[in-house]
Amino acid sequence: MKNDIEADVRTESGIKIMALFFVAIMFLAFTTDPIATGTKAGERAPDLEGMAYNGSGWTKFEMSDYFENNWTKGDASGEWMLIDFMDTDCTFCLQAAEKVAQNSNYFMKFQKDSDGTPAWKGPTVNFVASATQLDIPNHETSRDEIIGFRDKTGDDECGGSACATRNGGAHAFVYIDDIDQDNMKEWKVPGTPAYYLIQPDGIVAWSSSENPNEKVADAIIRLTLEE
Amino acid sequence: MNQNLILIGYIVPVVVGLVLMTPAGTSIGNMLVGRNPLMIHARRRHMLGMNLVAFTGFVVSAHTLWISNKISEGGNVCSSATVFSCDDVLGNAAYNTDPVFGLSWGLIGMAAFGALLFITNSVGKEPDSLWAERYLKYGMYMTGAGLAVIALLVSYEVEMGKICQFCTMAHISNVVALFGFWRAGQMHDRGEWNDNTEIISKGDGENKE
Repeated sequence: MKNDIEADVRTESGIKIMALFFVAIMFLAFTTDPIATGTKAGERAPDLEGMAYNGSGWTKFEMSDYFENNWTKGDASGEWMLIDFMDTDCTFCLQAAEKVAQNSNYFMKFQKDSDGTPAWKGPTVNFVASATQLDIPNHETSRDEIIGFRDKTGDDECGGSACATRNGGAHAFVYIDDIDQDNMKEWKVPGTPAYYLIQPDGIVAWSSSENPNEKVADAIIRLTLEE
Repeated sequence: MNQNLILIGYIVPVVVGLVLMTPAGTSIGNMLVGRNPLMIHARRRHMLGMNLVAFTGFVVSAHTLWISNKISEGGNVCSSATVFSCDDVLGNAAYNTDPVFGLSWGLIGMAAFGALLFITNSVGKEPDSLWAERYLKYGMYMTGAGLAVIALLVSYEVEMGKICQFCTMAHISNVVALFGFWRAGQMHDRGEWNDNTEIISKGDGENKE
């Protein structure tokens, strides 16, 4: 720069552009509070979508439709969501099916006390299953098999036995067709079954992969009742 | 605030910038001569146009980053059921960051247009310096490489079946800037870059443009 007076112009321009960049970044920092999208606690859950079976037919499901962006912690009127990534032929999913049925009936407030009020007094937790087909031999599934697993009906086989004879009662929540693994890949699900508890505003509150020693029911009770 | 109004606010400077870079900008130059006599020169108009376009690209990129951040907070900025819905594009976590470093496309756009703005600003101030022509070439290579990025982002939009208007505005700014750098090279080749003769001409009461 001592001998090259032209460098002054570039330095001046460089300082101006850097100042402009800095001002823009400061503006963004002061006016926004971005939340990363991901499946770890505190991150915004990626979208979960697809055709879903609700007991009577297949309809389009989009998880984001169920969120309340203005929800604040402690607001018991907001409805939480428990996502269950499963495979109808996975042994652990078949074993967990009974517990999932109990938990869903309880936290979705289908289970009533003797006075007719829901047994669970906390906020409603809606269960949603995303049924995938793992890339493992003999794990071929179909929509009929998903229906068979959910309702305990039909002649399809789940994990080598009739779906109708799997553990526990029929499930009363929606099952999304994720046979193509789209949702599973987007959520980077490490294996099935995998559970994610989502706040009413769409933020991941808990995941089974991050908390392998905590049961789903314990996590729901601990987190949904937080003030 | 109405997003379409903001969009028009971006379209106007890009169109004006483009016009200033073309022979059609002569009439605008003539109108500006009263305020700034140097606007009589095609090169000055050209660099003003390029600065306008690069600045608009920078601002619109910052705006897309702002929208991305707002969507991540759970807000709706420009959500629409039609094909034009930037919320669906900028809010899609699978596509709103680059696949290598995971940086937001808006931030990348800000850095790219910031670099272009540095080039156009520096060259605009010292158009006859030894490095000016080389910098203009760098600008052309950068905006040319930008076409590949635009192709990737448009392929994402096609996959989603949605169009982000603000992203498209940034893409258009890149294409117009590419045209500007290319035309600057043409002006160099044709000997139209130097404006000394025209200053003398104007002083003599003639206008060779």
